[in-house]
Amino acid sequence: MKMTSILKYYISCLSGCLCVCMSVYAQENSTKITDSLVVKHKYGIRVGVDISKLTRTFLESDYSGIELNADYRLTDRLYVAGEVGNEDHTTSNNYLNSTAKGTYLKVGVDYNMYNNWAGMENMVYSGVRLGISNFNQRLNNYTIYDVNNTTWGQTEIFDGKDFNGLNATWLELVFGFKAEIFNNLFMGLNVQIKRRLSEDQIDNFENLYIPGFGRTYDSGNFGVGWGYNISYLVPIFKKAKK
Amino acid sequence: MKKFIYLFFIVILSCEKDDICPETTQTTSRMVIEFYDLTNPDQLLEVPGLFALGLNSEGIEIPINNEIVTTRSSIALPLKTDETETEFNLYKNYDIVDGTVIGNPDTIKVTYSPENVYVSRSCGFKTIFDIQTFSITSDSDQWMISSDTLISTITNENDIHIKILH
Repeated sequence: MKMTSILKYYISCLSGCLCVCMSVYAQENSTKITDSLVVKHKYGIRVGVDISKLTRTFLESDYSGIELNADYRLTDRLYVAGEVGNEDHTTSNNYLNSTAKGTYLKVGVDYNMYNNWAGMENMVYSGVRLGISNFNQRLNNYTIYDVNNTTWGQTEIFDGKDFNGLNATWLELVFGFKAEIFNNLFMGLNVQIKRRLSEDQIDNFENLYIPGFGRTYDSGNFGVGWGYNISYLVPIFKKAKK
Repeated sequence: MKKFIYLFFIVILSCEKDDICPETTQTTSRMVIEFYDLTNPDQLLEVPGLFALGLNSEGIEIPINNEIVTTRSSIALPLKTDETETEFNLYKNYDIVDGTVIGNPDTIKVTYSPENVYVSRSCGFKTIFDIQTFSITSDSDQWMISSDTLISTITNENDIHIKILH
């Protein structure tokens, strides 16, 4: 009887000790879990396409264009970003009709201003771009602007003129957002304000449309644009936010 | 962000005027003629009942837009932008009595080389005329005696291109 009680004592002591040990072990474990809750962000290359340009290509007879875009995350908030595209646009009004076509490249950075909650990768960003376009322009036809043409009639000129190998550069401010709608798949909308830095002047005409820059304005060197992008993030590595 | 959106729309709206050619822009100009006194060539002299009609390639009189019979010392005439010469009948004392035209018509002929010059996106192209010759067809009761080309390139209507003595 005495032996059993001693044995009981030992067992209870041992089990108590085990419990303490286990609880200590468990505590160590839970500290590790807390560690793993440090927010890690995905870093990688995001590639996408401008849906609005594709839509316009199908809907508008005087436009066709495509733009691919990509960005690469450098730091928590900073991305290198760029777009490459091709556009063909016909400008026409009562007095003239001309077509511009060419390729363009835009490179720059985006800065994410949005404070994401844990696990979110959304962006509300502003960015800058340097754009360069190489394009051709054709003056298809024009009508002489003559307010007194009721006497002798309008004169229309149909023998067009080609202006090839033209270049233009511009600086662009971008504002937009990119939201992760599915895992690694982003939808983004942005607006752009541009200022032309240089353009090839042409003889007895002007660049009415510059691929990548958009239409030009008589009143100055500025331009506007917008984009609607679908892009996919190819994650390369994860990094904790400091 | 909000400020930026406002700015964006302001930029877009402010550009719309680009698509309408302003009336103040000099587009294709008419040829301006001033009439001077034959006895005192520096003195402007009004032509009583001056009226102009264009002559088409068949020599038929064509009414000119906004042209009315008035006594004045200058006239602006539109030239054909797709040809190199235009003719006009200039009437002195033009009137219509019982359906018949009275007055003294003299025919003038101007030859020129037209050049189409780009103005802007909204105004397109205008024609500049470089006057080669200006002549008054002689007839038995000619009222315009002699002419002189003062400015041979027609780029705006503030210039006086032709001086006529009568």
